[in-house]
Amino acid sequence: MVLLAGKDLRSELRGREILPPMLIFGFILVFLFTINFPAAAGRAPIPPPSAGGIGSRTIAAAFLWVSLLFAGVLGFSRNASMEREGSRMEGLLLAPVDPAALFAGKALANFCYLWILELVIFPAFVLFFDVAPSTLLPGILPVALAANVGLASAGTLVGAASQYVRARELILPLLLFPIVLPLVLGAERLTASLLAGAGLGPQSQWFMLMGTFDLAIPAVGAVVFEYVVNE
Amino acid sequence: MTIAKTFLAWLDRSQESIVRNLSLLVPLGGLIGLGAIFFWVPTDAKQGVVQRIFYIHVPAALVAYVAFGMVLLGSIAYLKTHNRRWDSFAHASAEVGVLFTGACIVAGMLWGRPEWGTYWAWDPRLTTTFVMLMIYVGYLLFRAMATDPTRGARLAAVIGIVGFVNVPLVHYSVDWWNGLHPNMRLINFNGPQSLPWQMMVTFAYMVAVFAGLFILLMMLRMRLENAQIALAEAEEAEAEAAHPASPAVRSGPAASPSPMGATQ
Repeated sequence: MVLLAGKDLRSELRGREILPPMLIFGFILVFLFTINFPAAAGRAPIPPPSAGGIGSRTIAAAFLWVSLLFAGVLGFSRNASMEREGSRMEGLLLAPVDPAALFAGKALANFCYLWILELVIFPAFVLFFDVAPSTLLPGILPVALAANVGLASAGTLVGAASQYVRARELILPLLLFPIVLPLVLGAERLTASLLAGAGLGPQSQWFMLMGTFDLAIPAVGAVVFEYVVNE
Repeated sequence: MTIAKTFLAWLDRSQESIVRNLSLLVPLGGLIGLGAIFFWVPTDAKQGVVQRIFYIHVPAALVAYVAFGMVLLGSIAYLKTHNRRWDSFAHASAEVGVLFTGACIVAGMLWGRPEWGTYWAWDPRLTTTFVMLMIYVGYLLFRAMATDPTRGARLAAVIGIVGFVNVPLVHYSVDWWNGLHPNMRLINFNGPQSLPWQMMVTFAYMVAVFAGLFILLMMLRMRLENAQIALAEAEEAEAEAAHPASPAVRSGPAASPSPMGATQ
């Protein structure tokens, strides 16, 4: 038994495939939680300008979006690795399709997965956090739209890239989380504002930022995707 | 692209002399700079002695930003031209950029402890720097973990582009997220004329020293990488020369029709 453990540890010492991504991933998680849960990090949560006393609501919104991010990463990973199995990517590349279209197609699929995921998670959130559906409902749709476009396109790009590295399941979230941070922070703030009954108005600046992300990342992704997937 | 070609040609011609000169100038200049920081510059009225770390901290940050800009340029040029030199340019910039970002963060923490009472705060600028560091560590990891080095270089180039586009977005998002922390602003310059001239001179001088150090480290790193590429190519050529009849040797004994393979 000790010998077996020794074998694993030795091969890790030589290959160094598990520990570096694991350590950095752990680091990023600590970062993600401390920045998203301000109260837990020892500083008072800062309420949005026009809504007072919503500390717990901010945390509820953070839970929602961090959970969605984790669940989303699983989907992105599967969606990308699907093409590697049985060399399906080679088949797609042989077809007379622009790599940009390939990117758009895969991003659209991920976009749909995210909506389906949210269709299940939002009601569960309403139920478990005892939120009145009417406070959340029309407003959460544009928030989810703004988040999903960016998440799906960044997830598709990084997901495809991570297919060509070792320890890909670890590497994908490692790079994706820092990149999509603006989206997650924005979605959380907007959701917290909804939960506080303040509507989207006071936090509407976030839509501008998320919109910029939703334009910039898909545009860059469409241009560079061919360099990721081509042989 | 002609600019890119001219630049590479210039790099080839002058690399050696730059390395030679800078490896003398940078340590010497660094020593003089340290002397200025510790003995010449007046002590900050409010912050006391710890303020002197800014002559290290801020130049490191500036150089790190420039380095990541160079990763972007090198990445674009590499994807356009497929010239390995651009890849090693971007790679070297990223490595040295990560190093300087790390130095900047450590220096900032050493300052933060006595000044803010904490090593770390989720101040917008700190958070942006941290996220930037994570993205470029990801860049280096992608290279290191790629199954095929050429593809690793291409993936890294993609990250070099996406990462740089992302940095301003991250900055705004954490800025809004954390609201205003006026007490956590870094040095408030209030117009440069309010600072003693010795401070300005030392600061500008240290920026120059750090820029020199950056160029030196980057050139050394590029030289190392080019040497590695040349070595790999030479070894390949030698293997080819030793066994001209059987090119399959390189792909391992299992694939070669050698007697050993036949007995297995």
